[in-house]
Amino acid sequence: MRINDRLFGALFLLLAVAYGWQAQQFPEPMGGSEAIGPSTFPTLLAVVLGLGSLYMMLKPDEDEAWPVGKTLVELIGIIVILVVYTALLETVGFVIMTTLAVALLSWRMQAPPLKALMTGLVSAVVAFVIFNYGLELTLPDGILELG
Amino acid sequence: METLNYLMDGFSVALTPTNLLLALIGSFLGTLIGALPGLGPANGVAILIPLAFTLGLPPESALIMLTAVYAGAMYGGRISSILLNIPGDEPAMMTCLDGYPMAQQGKAAEALTISAVASFIGSIVATIGLIILAPVLADFALHFGAAEYFALFVLAFATLGGITGKNPVKTIVAAALGLMMSTIGIDISTGQPRYTFNTLELFEGIDFIIAIVGLFAISELLFFIEKHMGEGESMVKMNKLTISIKEVIAVLPTSLRCGVVGFIAGVLPGAGASLGSFLSYTVEKRILGSKNRFGEGDPRGVAAPEAGNNGAANGALVPMLTLGIPGSGTTAVLLAMLVSLNITPGPMMFQQHADIVWGVIAALLVGNVLLLLLNIPMIGIFVKLLSVPPKYLMPIVTLVAIVGIYSISHSPFDLYFMVAFGVLGYILRKTEIPLVPVILGLLLGPEMEKNLRHAMTLSDGDWSVLWGTPLAIGIWAVAILGLVLPYIVGPVLRKRMQRS
Repeated sequence: MRINDRLFGALFLLLAVAYGWQAQQFPEPMGGSEAIGPSTFPTLLAVVLGLGSLYMMLKPDEDEAWPVGKTLVELIGIIVILVVYTALLETVGFVIMTTLAVALLSWRMQAPPLKALMTGLVSAVVAFVIFNYGLELTLPDGILELG
Repeated sequence: METLNYLMDGFSVALTPTNLLLALIGSFLGTLIGALPGLGPANGVAILIPLAFTLGLPPESALIMLTAVYAGAMYGGRISSILLNIPGDEPAMMTCLDGYPMAQQGKAAEALTISAVASFIGSIVATIGLIILAPVLADFALHFGAAEYFALFVLAFATLGGITGKNPVKTIVAAALGLMMSTIGIDISTGQPRYTFNTLELFEGIDFIIAIVGLFAISELLFFIEKHMGEGESMVKMNKLTISIKEVIAVLPTSLRCGVVGFIAGVLPGAGASLGSFLSYTVEKRILGSKNRFGEGDPRGVAAPEAGNNGAANGALVPMLTLGIPGSGTTAVLLAMLVSLNITPGPMMFQQHADIVWGVIAALLVGNVLLLLLNIPMIGIFVKLLSVPPKYLMPIVTLVAIVGIYSISHSPFDLYFMVAFGVLGYILRKTEIPLVPVILGLLLGPEMEKNLRHAMTLSDGDWSVLWGTPLAIGIWAVAILGLVLPYIVGPVLRKRMQRS
């Protein structure tokens, strides 16, 4: 199958056109005396990417297999873990969220649940102590805030 | 003589207690990172950059630590090659050929010792080469004008895929994507916001440290999950070391020769450490002729690629320091570090920041001595750490990267961006579009545009100025060669590397 390169070639071509078109909308710099304005370099890049993506579509390479089924779900799960971690980091706090994130990641890599949880807890606490007290970089306390 | 004075000044920077300690930490972490299968030197340095920032280190200290990490990663790559037959990074691939057979014959400790000595010699030879060649090249590069620099940037991108690269067009696509990302934000010369979509966070442009960690570390995590699902733990076995001085001396000529070969491969654009170790191995095989038992556990077959890849790694620092043009992924990441410390690499750096340049070069020498000390008596520790299963290590490594990013700006926006870059990195790697040109584009974009502007302003908008001097024409010619050559010699070279 040679779908990958055709598909992404098309996407990149679209990107090149949109990017190049946007570049033409930049107003001329004040005075207009500069030999090249803010749009010259982006226009050049749009042309290069456009040519490259055309080549990808015309002479595509052999595809690498995309993950399907269970593996794909796993991968999306990992991304969800990272996004939820970011979203709740400041409200819930570093220690709790990091424990959960590392434990979940480690568990999804086939570690036994209890060991995964221990890995998460230990690394979260150690990192918190090092960063907060050793390096004096404040990481969010969240709901564990003292006083 | 002048060079020697500078080098002495460099040592006075590198040998302060703090910097020495940082070099030691860096060497240790680097070896560890290099040893972990899958976590190559570029990833390792990328993950540690945010850490260097959060430590609030002065530029020379941060650079010394990261240079030590860089040197250490090249040493570390051999450990898993020899013990597990899995190269820790790509250049260590050739070390498997004789290293693993030696380990199977119960001579793992010997193989590790010999390879450590060979790595050391290769590095030292190349560092001496760097000391001699770098100032000369920097002086010469002072003659470069804006047009030459613009051509040089094109050359860097054109040769980045390397002679063995599969599809040079994809390298160009990757570079274009990176350069496009670099135009996001306020245009420095005109104040015009570009591609910001009126998002406040985008006005200052994309921070490449976030891009690096996302593209490399997060995408690595995704790949890891995909590839290693349910895979068991590996057993690592070590024997007691019984090696005589004679055996070490026996590999010295090989190490010296291969250090030189590696250095040359490293300096040339588009070659890099992988080709360095491959060339050293094949050249040495030829030189030894019928006297070699390469492939069956010949100690010289371990020494050759190790001296070669360490030589190449240091050789790659020559174009990076003197021209500001990195030859490999890892040097690109080191360059990112320099740029974010507000140091513009290139010939001017040798004049404006002589203390930093020579401090780093001295740190390379010091770091290699530390590494030799770390890697022979303390090799057991690394072997132990290597037997910690990745299912615990990978999440922790990822965590360190995330904390590093967060503590730079304390902004969740950056973390979302990092995750997005991770997904992008995964998709690009799946379509076999290399990541290093993306990073390099993001990094070099502003300089490239600046030089284009300069050249065009001087010529009053005449594009032919870009190829107006013999020097510029020469650079363009090499760049074009760099794009065309992979189509001709690439398939042949790749086949040979696979066969051996």
